Amino acid sequence: MFKMMFSLQWKEFNRGKAVGGKLFAKILKWLGIIYVAFMTFLMGIIASSYGGPLAEFPFEEGTTVPFLYVNKQLIYVFVYLIVMRYFVQSLPVVNIKALLLTPVLKTQIVRFSLLKTVLTYFNILPLFFLTPFSFLLASTGDYDIVGLIFWNINIIGLIYVTNFFNFLLINKNKLIYGVGGILALIKILEYYSIVDFTAYSEQFFYLFYSQPYAVAFTWILVFWLYDYVNKYLLQGLYTDTGLQIKIKEAKMDDFSFLDRFGKTATFIKNDLRLLKRSKRARTAVYMGIGMLFYGTIFVPSEEILGSGFLFFGYLFSTGGFLFMFGSFVPSWDSQYYPLMMTQNIEYKEYLNSKWSLMIIGTVISTVLASFIYSFFGTNAVYAVLAGAFYNIGVNGYLTLWAGAYTKSPIDLNSSANAFGDKKAFNAKTLLVGFPQMLLPVLVYYFTSQYYDHLTGCLAVAGLGTLGIFLKPVAFNLIMKAYKTEKYSTLKAYKTN
Amino acid sequence: MIKIENLIKKYSKQTVLEINSLEIPSGQTFGLIGNNGAGKTTLFSCLLDLIKPTKGKVINNGVEVSFSEDWKSFTTAFLDETFLIGYLMPEEYFYFIGELRGLSKIQVDNFVLKFEDFFHGEILGGKKYLRDLSKGNQKKVGVIAALIGEPKVIILDEPFANLDPSTQIRLKGIIKDLSKYNDTTILVSSHDIQDVTEVCDRIALLEKGKLIKDIKTNKETLKELETYFKG
Repeated sequence: MFKMMFSLQWKEFNRGKAVGGKLFAKILKWLGIIYVAFMTFLMGIIASSYGGPLAEFPFEEGTTVPFLYVNKQLIYVFVYLIVMRYFVQSLPVVNIKALLLTPVLKTQIVRFSLLKTVLTYFNILPLFFLTPFSFLLASTGDYDIVGLIFWNINIIGLIYVTNFFNFLLINKNKLIYGVGGILALIKILEYYSIVDFTAYSEQFFYLFYSQPYAVAFTWILVFWLYDYVNKYLLQGLYTDTGLQIKIKEAKMDDFSFLDRFGKTATFIKNDLRLLKRSKRARTAVYMGIGMLFYGTIFVPSEEILGSGFLFFGYLFSTGGFLFMFGSFVPSWDSQYYPLMMTQNIEYKEYLNSKWSLMIIGTVISTVLASFIYSFFGTNAVYAVLAGAFYNIGVNGYLTLWAGAYTKSPIDLNSSANAFGDKKAFNAKTLLVGFPQMLLPVLVYYFTSQYYDHLTGCLAVAGLGTLGIFLKPVAFNLIMKAYKTEKYSTLKAYKTN
Repeated sequence: MIKIENLIKKYSKQTVLEINSLEIPSGQTFGLIGNNGAGKTTLFSCLLDLIKPTKGKVINNGVEVSFSEDWKSFTTAFLDETFLIGYLMPEEYFYFIGELRGLSKIQVDNFVLKFEDFFHGEILGGKKYLRDLSKGNQKKVGVIAALIGEPKVIILDEPFANLDPSTQIRLKGIIKDLSKYNDTTILVSSHDIQDVTEVCDRIALLEKGKLIKDIKTNKETLKELETYFKG
């Protein structure tokens, strides 16, 4: 029976939606996966010998500092893992309704969809860290081998706790915002050194090293959760319970204050409704907000990574929404693209409205980012502003232009049930974004090397300003691309 | 109003549509009938420039559709649910379409109100987005939206399918009225020979992409079509 379900799954995977560019996307995806795995592996090696930020703990013989340091940070890893799973991990969707009437037992259907998650990327990836880390620690001879083994077993157990916990989180937005809030709170409390949770984290995880039998509790929790989720899903196997799609009560949104902008407003109004009402689209906004803080990752390590990397971080922080929303133009409209193509509208108006929305988002991001980065000094603000100009003047067009060729339809209505696939974020978006970031970073890097930081910023901002003046030219080119791609885009969306 | 010349659509080597010449005069209600795969939707898609014909051209009121987009100002269509915007409420959708065709909110309200009995109290003032409506109700919204703004040409693919009996009858009335009083050219496809014979002035029969019959509707039409499809 499992074999049959497995073959169904395989077919679904292989005969999936998008037509064009599928192979390329697959290659990119695998490259991304290998890259992350490799980086994780590297982190495992680094962590075992230094323990955290490179300079902080110089290598010392005969101490367990690296191990303690990792234990300290694990609390973040797990909270982060829960949040990432929620947004990125797609739950297994077997075509459940069709199976309900077949002689397959319901318990088998549920068990299959649960067990399948055991081998997902999120569960495998940590092993790339744990293996080199543990082996290198063990090889120093300063550690108790049995303790290390059980420590590993415990970590793996906790990973599976988050794995099954994810099932319970589906459709419970409030819970996930709660978890996200906790993450922010512990970080803030730690930052102002009110309560240092990492100390508890260290003690907690160290416990499984010093008292190996404590592992039993973790695994009891894993099996209990598995059983609980099993029952929970089993209850949901009715078309009026778990398989039912929840319908939210609709409310009118009046954006008539935008009407003065003419036809462009007609579309902007729609896109605002889209961002408000579609979970999938809302993610673009959340990601945009999240990206605001992207630069802060690079600030502490400026000396190691260099100013170019830092600039990259600033550039991305104002462009988050632009990329997250813009990369999916016109895919946002994929479900009703034929309607758009038969209405009395010109591509120019259509594209202009999308562009305007991206720019509005970027301007808002810039205001917020300038505020955030003002804490890091005026140089940071210059870089943020330069990045904003470049995003508005160049990246806006590039993203729109690339959109003409990315033809993956988006299912806006995938309001998920307990079994639904609600993967709302696509790694491809980021990958498309990176090359667009390379040029300004290079321009900045070389001018700031020859002159100074401010000149570097001005050079990038200059490019952006030039782009703003070239809008008519850019739009003509983009329009041509959209026109020639029209028929194949329509065809690709049809396979939705 | 609509002129089709040597229209051919091929996918690799298979010809799915081949119409030498077809002319639909202004104000005519034109019915298209045929089995699955006969090419009805393909023909409509060509008319709306949604697919590019391999050969030949479609001229809508003097405009060749694959060269100029001017036909969009007087042509409307509802082919399937891809003509609906799922995250909008029916009213918002009507306003959107109305705005694109130069109508104010009040004009749209007044227009839509005329179809209140067609909606049967399930569409207007409801608390649902289009994506949450039933298939039948979605179709009602789509068909009425295609009538907004006094188009000269209306293209409806299978408008009667999925509708309940009362709505079917009302829709037939609406279509008949349009051709009678507004001089609107209406193209309708259907699987149901009874429906088309009732509504259309003229019926074309497609089979494997070819025009087999082109009949002015009369008393004998229904029988003629029945005998054909009995095969």
